[in-house]
Amino acid sequence: MATETTADGRAGPVGRIRARLEGPNTVGNSRRFWAAFAVGVLGLVVYPAIGDAGDLSLFLVLALLGLSLSVVWGYAGVLSFGQVVFFGVGGYTFGVVSINHATPSGITAALVLGVVGGALVAALMGYFMFYGGVRNVYVTIITLVSTMVMHTFMAQTAGSEWTIGDAALGGFNGMPAIPLLAVGIDEVFTIQLVRNTVELQAPVVGLVEFDLFYYFIVGVLVLTYLGLRALVNSDYGRVMVAIREDEDRTRMFGYDVKRVKLVVFTVGGALAGLSGVLYASRNIFIDPQVFGLTFATLPVIWVSVGGRKSLLGAVVATIGIEYLRVSIEGEWALVVLGVLLLAFILALPGGIVPWIDGQLDQQRGEAPESRPDAPDAPAEVTDS
Amino acid sequence: MANWLNLAFQFLDSFAFIVLAAAGLAIIFGIMGVINLAHGEFILVGAYATTLAVKAVGLPLPAAMLAGAVVTAGFGLVVERTIISGAGPNWVWERLEPRLSAALPDQAAAVLPSGPLIEPLYDRLADSMVATFGLSLIMVQGARIVFGNSIDQVATPFGEVAYGAFSYSAYRLVLAGVSVALLGLVYYVFTYTDYGMRARAVIQDDRTARALGVNTERTYAATFALGSGLAGLTGALFAPVISMQPTLGSQFLVEAFVAVVVGGASVVLGTALSAAGLGAIESVFSNQYGTFFGRIALLLTAILALRFLPGGITGYIERVRKRRRRES
Amino acid sequence: MSDRSGLDRRSFLATGSALVGAAMAGCSGDGGDGGGNGDDGGTAGGTASSDETVKIGVLEDQSGNFALVGDPKHKASLLAIEEINADGGIDGKQIEPVTRDPQSDNQRYQELTREMIDDEEVDVLWAGYSSATREAIRPIINRNEQLYFYTTQYEGGVCDKTTFAVGPTARQQLGSVLPYLREEFGPEIYTVAADYNFGQLSADWVKVLANENDAEVIGEEFVPLKESSFGSTINRIQEADPDFVMSMLVGANHTAFYEQKASTGLDVPIGTSTAMAQGYEHRRLEPPAMANIYAGVNYMEEVPTDSNTRDGGFVDRYFEKYPDAPYLNEEAETNYFSTYMYKEAVEQAGTLEQPEVIEALESGISLGTERAPEAPEGETIELDGATHHVDHHMWVLRADEEHRIEAVENRKIPEQFLTETVGCDLREEAEQTQYTPVDFFEEAE
Repeated sequence: MATETTADGRAGPVGRIRARLEGPNTVGNSRRFWAAFAVGVLGLVVYPAIGDAGDLSLFLVLALLGLSLSVVWGYAGVLSFGQVVFFGVGGYTFGVVSINHATPSGITAALVLGVVGGALVAALMGYFMFYGGVRNVYVTIITLVSTMVMHTFMAQTAGSEWTIGDAALGGFNGMPAIPLLAVGIDEVFTIQLVRNTVELQAPVVGLVEFDLFYYFIVGVLVLTYLGLRALVNSDYGRVMVAIREDEDRTRMFGYDVKRVKLVVFTVGGALAGLSGVLYASRNIFIDPQVFGLTFATLPVIWVSVGGRKSLLGAVVATIGIEYLRVSIEGEWALVVLGVLLLAFILALPGGIVPWIDGQLDQQRGEAPESRPDAPDAPAEVTDS
Repeated sequence: MANWLNLAFQFLDSFAFIVLAAAGLAIIFGIMGVINLAHGEFILVGAYATTLAVKAVGLPLPAAMLAGAVVTAGFGLVVERTIISGAGPNWVWERLEPRLSAALPDQAAAVLPSGPLIEPLYDRLADSMVATFGLSLIMVQGARIVFGNSIDQVATPFGEVAYGAFSYSAYRLVLAGVSVALLGLVYYVFTYTDYGMRARAVIQDDRTARALGVNTERTYAATFALGSGLAGLTGALFAPVISMQPTLGSQFLVEAFVAVVVGGASVVLGTALSAAGLGAIESVFSNQYGTFFGRIALLLTAILALRFLPGGITGYIERVRKRRRRES
Repeated sequence: MSDRSGLDRRSFLATGSALVGAAMAGCSGDGGDGGGNGDDGGTAGGTASSDETVKIGVLEDQSGNFALVGDPKHKASLLAIEEINADGGIDGKQIEPVTRDPQSDNQRYQELTREMIDDEEVDVLWAGYSSATREAIRPIINRNEQLYFYTTQYEGGVCDKTTFAVGPTARQQLGSVLPYLREEFGPEIYTVAADYNFGQLSADWVKVLANENDAEVIGEEFVPLKESSFGSTINRIQEADPDFVMSMLVGANHTAFYEQKASTGLDVPIGTSTAMAQGYEHRRLEPPAMANIYAGVNYMEEVPTDSNTRDGGFVDRYFEKYPDAPYLNEEAETNYFSTYMYKEAVEQAGTLEQPEVIEALESGISLGTERAPEAPEGETIELDGATHHVDHHMWVLRADEEHRIEAVENRKIPEQFLTETVGCDLREEAEQTQYTPVDFFEEAE
């Protein structure tokens, strides 16, 4: 596979960083890519000045959820409908802890605990599944069923007996009165992130307003993306991909497949939990709809359309599809959305970003990576 | 005494619901490796077709139910030919492309793709999920646009079975009988008919089957149509008992997927046994503790079954058989 | 497989679809319903409204799970707006309705509410069917101190400075039908309710009301929203053998209960706050599924007031504007009269500024039968300024074996819980709380 791994400028610190972030497992390994990436990030930073960034911050939060599935599915081969379980656990944990300790320290702790909660539940579920030898479609269905369990359970936590400390779980109506997200340590340094607009005098443009949460989420997303790139292109990442491609063979080479899957699943859970925490803090609200079948399916849709094996694809597709869902209006909106999904998956089964990458490769005269996706229906189900 | 009878009837009710919810999906998923997230919407087609056949056309209920199943089978065939296998668009394109190429100037003609336009979705779990999810959006909203937010319902036939202070809807018990008969029918089709033999050959090894002269295209199409028809029959059978709204399919989805996967590879035996097991758990818990606990118990049992029975129930039976063969 | 020269099939398909997608995303198509849908993008504006128009935001479900009950609300709001405009508008200003379809999705509701407030700068907002929706958007409403009308029947208890929950509360609805059934049939009650906030809180109110009416709840059961099989529930009801059943089942799946009950031959009288008035089961299901069901509601299409049923009355006007509509439901009437209440308040305040309008609303607005068809001739309904709730005219309506609707009782029932028990007075103290009966009544535990 032709990748520009030994190009110029590898010696310096920039080169070393790039070497970590690039590899065959991610799309975009050239200077041009990083230039475009920088332009993209700059665009995100500048966007609030020229457009309406209100919805965009939600899409970025959801992009974290998409990334969590991309890591777990695209890179370790575990198709999980359960990312929303960790998402919801993260959000609810944040709500519970922050309501009970409504100081900036407490809220910061709540943020951390939300992520930890997501990771913990993922670890438990992962242990239960992988160390029990559950594979392939059975993993998918177990995660789907666990989503249903959470939905059924949380929807009926309406009574006042369902209170943890001061926080009422709220049942179907959701958890109300989540405090505004603020991080820091009491008395030392705190900064409120949600509903906090900072005004600065910029030299040319004049008075500029920064919605802190938006920039916080942009920062979190970019850092997460880069971190995941590094992970996926590292040696560990290669093991992940090896497991995705052929689990048995990888095991026979001596790798502890179960442990790798568990670790990756936990990381995915932590990411989904983080997304849930940010979702709850952005909306100052969370309800059991996040455990519903539609919302559980959405990450699969985002990642499939964006390109399962591409982190960038997950981010791009999440933002694109969610934007579409909010903006298409009228009676035919859902029909159009369905048609678009159909057309995209039939036309570009590998996903958008890998396809674009392939096109660019073609134009540059390189052979596109022609690795047809292995059929992923397991033999266990199709043997009669 | 009465409570045992209650429990028995509730079990039959649960069993029938799960079998009927899962039947069509078991065939499509088990045989073709396509996850049909629009399964609930195929049930919708059957339910609406049956209701409209009674209300608008005036057919008697049994004929209307048959009509509903047939309409859904036809609809499934269309879906299979256009989306799942892509045969339709590919066929059209095959004939269109040379003419377009000839008609357009060279530059434009070079842009057009030659060869088939769409690849089949068989054995592509994730892609079939996205495609059928899109399909389900189209179908639900389409039903809403064409028929409105609800259509009038047909009445439940047959009256009740009374015993002491209790009674149970006779129709629901009839459904239990129908579900068993349905399993028998599917078993018969797959074991004793030519089509069934071809289908099983294609499942096992489609290349060899094709080499031996089996028309795999047609077999896949027929299988999808059969699965859709069964889903449509489910809709038809439940049309008198559930609310006729475009979203009615969603209440079947979870039971269907769970039963199919817990059942394992064998369409008939697996579905029957998993429906029996899950139905028993759900009815016992519902009877004792209420519907909430019944539902949770069903879901948790499914999780445990998936964890401790790799390959589902069928896989478990296979292992038992193998062990016995080895021991004998 | 793929062409090296030129695009392969994938590019072809992808480009085509992308073009279509971009085209669709760019346009906001119209609603496709019969109403006067003023669906514009944000009009330029720094001020809350121009001198010419009043901007009314309406966010009601036209698709998704709640479309069946949400769509009539949307239609009724537009009907009221059209009538007011034809009559000269509010204080001479025409109303400009701004409507979007939130598709029964709370996440979408939040985004659209934000848009309505920040981009459209509506003067007043009607939004949401379910209580979950209301709670999802209330943080945004509260932050912006947006004047907000919530018109669905609900569990009650919302004491919020800028929210006007003008639909009947559970206490009012159950309080109309339960005493009647107690008188008619006896003291033993079996409760069947949807297993979520509204159902559980309604069941608490049943216990409170039973206590007040010398009745007893002998059994209580909660059914998950997704459940559509009621065999075991029906058996339990038969076993308990109550004098009547109180049903607070909600949603499409729960409609199956009535069909299944009928097919088992269970004929115990059933009092309900949720069936028939919202989802018109008595039209959709074949008789005698809804026989002997008593709805305790403020309004149904069949309510026998003159202003409702006469030629050119409310029902006539609604179906003239929407000939294809299947039913005129309970919440539609609430959307209708609350629009008129808003008009009265604005004209009283003399301005569109929301704090002043709220003050005007809090002085108490009263509507006669013409604007509030739930009230019989000569009667009125009142907006209680202290609690922001409405003293409704409540009816008990019975469906017979042929599904004909007959009104068996009617009286005015004031909002009691917040006024008497909680002591919520938003004129004195601005709050943003929801109270529940468990905190105040022992018997609700």
